[in-house]
Amino acid sequence: MSELTTLQKWLTSIIVRPGMLDDKIRLADEHYQVKNDKVIRPSLRLSPAQKIEIYSKGYILRLLECMEAEYPALNKLLGQNLFHKFVKAYLVQLPPNSPDLYNLGEAFPAFLKASQPQTYNSDEGVLMYDLPVNLAMFERCIAEVSRIEGLESRAEEGAGNEMPYLFNTTTIYTSPCLKLLTLQFPLVDFIQHVYNDLEPEVPFKQDSFICICRKNYRVNFHELEVWQWHFLNALQNKTNYMAAVIDTANACKVATDTIMADLILWLPVAIGLGYVYLK
Amino acid sequence: MDTTVINRLGLPNLGLGVGLRSKHYSHLMQNDPVVDWFEIISENYMNNFGYGRHVLNHIASIRPIVMHGVSMSVGSTDPLNLDYLKQLKQLADFVNPVWISDHLCWTGVANINTHDLLPLPLTIESLHHVASRVNQIQDILQRPLILENPSTYLEFESSTLQEWEFLSELVNKTGCGLLLDVNNVFVSGFNHGFDPEFYIRNIPHQSVVQIHVAGPTDCDTYLLDTHDQPVPTQVWKLYQLAQELTGGVSTLLEWDANIPEYPELVAEVQKAKEVLKGHLPNVPVYRTSADAVSNPVNHQMQATHE
Ligand SMILES: [Fe+2]
Repeated sequence: MSELTTLQKWLTSIIVRPGMLDDKIRLADEHYQVKNDKVIRPSLRLSPAQKIEIYSKGYILRLLECMEAEYPALNKLLGQNLFHKFVKAYLVQLPPNSPDLYNLGEAFPAFLKASQPQTYNSDEGVLMYDLPVNLAMFERCIAEVSRIEGLESRAEEGAGNEMPYLFNTTTIYTSPCLKLLTLQFPLVDFIQHVYNDLEPEVPFKQDSFICICRKNYRVNFHELEVWQWHFLNALQNKTNYMAAVIDTANACKVATDTIMADLILWLPVAIGLGYVYLK
Repeated sequence: MDTTVINRLGLPNLGLGVGLRSKHYSHLMQNDPVVDWFEIISENYMNNFGYGRHVLNHIASIRPIVMHGVSMSVGSTDPLNLDYLKQLKQLADFVNPVWISDHLCWTGVANINTHDLLPLPLTIESLHHVASRVNQIQDILQRPLILENPSTYLEFESSTLQEWEFLSELVNKTGCGLLLDVNNVFVSGFNHGFDPEFYIRNIPHQSVVQIHVAGPTDCDTYLLDTHDQPVPTQVWKLYQLAQELTGGVSTLLEWDANIPEYPELVAEVQKAKEVLKGHLPNVPVYRTSADAVSNPVNHQMQATHE
């Protein structure tokens, strides 16, 4: 290993590792055969360890701020102390490896899920363990929808003004920036309250079918009726409109005619919110 | 007396600019931008097809744009991230920037990105390593790379070159340009006990393409590059000197945390005009005993709601 490589591995390992500064430096010194007081120039005001600490402290504070920006509602639910504890543990397990800060929080919902006990029964347990995971999934989805490719460039070309009730159903597609979630808690209000700087109420457990989408660069998220959610989900995965209708009817145990009749009323709304579009 | 040689790699003096930040998106979509040009954080727009890119598209149609990166990791001993460079080039094809810059630093090793600008030992080994990477990057981007001096908080015993010597040698070896951050010179000068004026007098002025000004934080035993305050008098003084020696180059105010409303930001960068007339604003360096964050990056996590 070149001297430069050794120094970089040595310093990186101190910066990203958890624990007390002196322990981290000692372990890195041992592992890389480096003497911190021989490689870092001391000064009158600061020791080598204090200089390293400026970097190791900055690393955590900087990334905590980024995670707070991506997960404001979760931060609110857990309180900053607990939120920071989870984020720090997350960063230890998965140190950032992408130039893009939007990838930083990508695996956080899965990390929270994996950090839970394997089994628990009480309602209290559900609230304590499942609610944060649900909220994290929701917030991550919002972050993704705000960045992925949508339909805006198409709208700028003048498309999208068709009269919805005249459409040919073979040309209906879901938006590329539509994301669907099933959650165990209704969380739309909670997130809206946090966004508006209001005190959110912790919701009771109840299945919730969520749609997150972007239209004209504005992210919207709503709770859907079960059949609406199933229809969008089926349309994302099935080859055509009729297959999606049949799939929805089966999943919701209602007649296809009923679904089709409901769709005639609802599709203009879905088009308006950008969930689906006519090609 | 005008002994300056203006070269700047043939790149223009764009005047006074500010960083494009999500806090000001809606203001900028409805109002005149006032400033002459904008700098973007490249990584913030590389995989972003949302509102940010829409605003960028609008701004790029009315003002020159410069792409400033924080993750190129020119000094890392990891292999060059070719995917990253490809995406950077794709963004450049979209934005058509006047130039592309990053920092003389490394951000991590073994595939880790600390999202910090870490210091290099200033040795001949580092110089050869960085020069060879800068040459490769310039070949890929098909344009000169403009490199910025970072704020640093530690020095390596093995360093045999001063930072201004390292940068001069790097310019000789690669033909790269320099982004002189006079606030970083001020911060590092205080932290390592060198004279910032001597530093600025000894870099190759004809290769300076751009200047950064910003407000740091005095943490008592060291200065921290926080980009969250007005520019202090000492930094304006270094700015004045740098403009005298370079003959006048593009100026950009960095403000990345505690970001003010847009008119206040514009007023701050316009102080540069007064400084060039010899009127230095009387602004002390901000002091705090609270935890401050250097190189704040959370402004890149744009809000998705209003
Ligand atoms: Fe800078």
